[in-house]
Amino acid sequence: MSTSSTPSRQARLSGLFRNGALSTPVLAVLFVGFLLVPLVLGEFWIHVANEILILGLFALSFNLIYGYMGQISFGHAAFFGLGAYGTAILFREFTGGTGEIGYFQFFAALLTGVPVAAAGAVVVGYFCVRLTGIYFAILSLAFGELLFFIIFSWYGFTGGDDGIQRLLPPPFFRSEVPYYYLSLAVVAASAAIIWRITESPFGYVLRAMRDNQQRTRFLGINVRLYMWLNFVIAGTFAGVAGALWGPYTRSVAPVLLGWQESGIAVFMTLIGGSGFFAGPFVGSIVYTFIQAWVTGFTVYWPLTIGVIILAIVLFAPGGLLGALDAAIARLRGGESGSDLEAGSGPEPAE
Amino acid sequence: MSLEPNFLFTQLLAGLSRAMILFLLSSGLSLIFGVMNILNFAHATFWLFGGYLTYSLFQALGGEGILMLVLAIILGSAAMAVFGFVCERLLIRRMYDRELPEQLLLTFALVLIFGDLIKIIWGVEDRAVFLGIEPLQMFDTFVNPYYFVIITVGVAVAAGLWWFLQRSHYGKIVRAAVYNRDMVSALGIRIPLIYAGVFALGVGIAAFAAGVFLPLMPMALGVDISIIVECFAVVVIGGFGSILGTFVASILVGVVYAFSVLFWPDGALAVVFLIVILVLIWRPWGLFGTEMRF
Repeated sequence: MSTSSTPSRQARLSGLFRNGALSTPVLAVLFVGFLLVPLVLGEFWIHVANEILILGLFALSFNLIYGYMGQISFGHAAFFGLGAYGTAILFREFTGGTGEIGYFQFFAALLTGVPVAAAGAVVVGYFCVRLTGIYFAILSLAFGELLFFIIFSWYGFTGGDDGIQRLLPPPFFRSEVPYYYLSLAVVAASAAIIWRITESPFGYVLRAMRDNQQRTRFLGINVRLYMWLNFVIAGTFAGVAGALWGPYTRSVAPVLLGWQESGIAVFMTLIGGSGFFAGPFVGSIVYTFIQAWVTGFTVYWPLTIGVIILAIVLFAPGGLLGALDAAIARLRGGESGSDLEAGSGPEPAE
Repeated sequence: MSLEPNFLFTQLLAGLSRAMILFLLSSGLSLIFGVMNILNFAHATFWLFGGYLTYSLFQALGGEGILMLVLAIILGSAAMAVFGFVCERLLIRRMYDRELPEQLLLTFALVLIFGDLIKIIWGVEDRAVFLGIEPLQMFDTFVNPYYFVIITVGVAVAAGLWWFLQRSHYGKIVRAAVYNRDMVSALGIRIPLIYAGVFALGVGIAAFAAGVFLPLMPMALGVDISIIVECFAVVVIGGFGSILGTFVASILVGVVYAFSVLFWPDGALAVVFLIVILVLIWRPWGLFGTEMRF
């Protein structure tokens, strides 16, 4: 099946080729904004902002697979969940029922989630990168669901469907503001590393594989190895986000690994714009903010987000940043949208 | 746990009737994917919506008697087929030259929207139809004879669909459209109508399945979410676009599920996903699919 390079696709992905022309100012504004949140807003909104940060990192890691590599994963939450469980299980062992944890143990538990998620991504990715398109999507979904059911039914080790509760951070991080700044530091550092990766030659190989896998292979690039590496990197950063999640909500549950949790990363990325580095983050802000706001007065949150997604898919396929980018281009004299797709060539018959 | 033959027999019947619901859903899913290349996440949600609709029609027709249920099922399926036709013309049509993720997201948005619409219209209570059928004594155990109705209906739809695709005029057009839509279009056949028709057929069969299952399985919120993932499993195991493959895979998944529940109640679906993983690794185009679309 050959998929032609449609104008919507070109518009959607153009942002990834301009070294962050739009993403840099957006991220700079956001970073300053997030630094100021605790000074300006109340406790509830600090809590919401923290969720935006953690899920934003999760969505950012997902976009390494989607926006940059061109594959869609419906099992990405598996690594988010593995990170959360890796942290939570060690956390539970350290507290030993007392409900108290030392600072050293706290950070050790946080760190443990990351290699657990990475190990999961090594195994799952090994098989997933052998496939593309719909098959990649369903295989990742199947692995995610398999891990979900293993954690769901392994009562002795993971707590089964009860999950693990009472993950109370040490005293200093118990109040909203210090934990918020911890999240901000970790998420900002992770985002910086991901940014560096996407702007490296490796990052451009990812874009090449997305645009034309066959041609990339002809250049002598081991496509599977690069896809696998990228899958593991994405899974690792999902694990970082997951590790932060447990102590943030004070609990973990198997649904963190489910495909609907993966769907959240997909939604965020789409809302913000998968063609921009900052897109998933903008999506996380919009999604989480609207959710916190809408659920305050209606139970019909799925209907609300469903209509939003429908509108974006139909009318703004490039997401919010894509629309913003197009608006800026129009103001400057309509030059954008034609000379941006630097890496594209004729599409292969796959 | 008793593993006596009569117990295994009832379990097998339950598994086979579960297989039929999976088949009736997956055949539409597979057909739509085969012809239009769209993976319809909302298929099970339309199924659920059709079930609630048929329930309401049945209540409006008096709420008792098998004849009235049959009438309600026919009306419900027809209404949902029309709905499917309109849905394709209004929304799905716009997605044909989009990328896969965007197609998935559009249909997933429909899952969320229609899931909530069901909640708004019918509330959160489960809806079922009670026919008052006497259990049948077989092999020293009691069996709900409705299981046999369901299995018969499932096999009949499978045979009918096979006949439609292989023998009928329109079926041949549909199959030709799978291979080369430009050529079919060049022959003067209106591809957009064929597409809308296939989508309507798929949604109609799904609604029909929901109606037939009403006496056995209550319609409940959220069932669509779990069943659509199982349908993906069936379609992948059987191979996209193959009716025979979908049928065999449905029976495999239904029966495997029914027996894994016995020894791993929480993780029966995990066994199904393990099969999916093995099939995708070993034969990504499925047991009965061809490599064409891979």
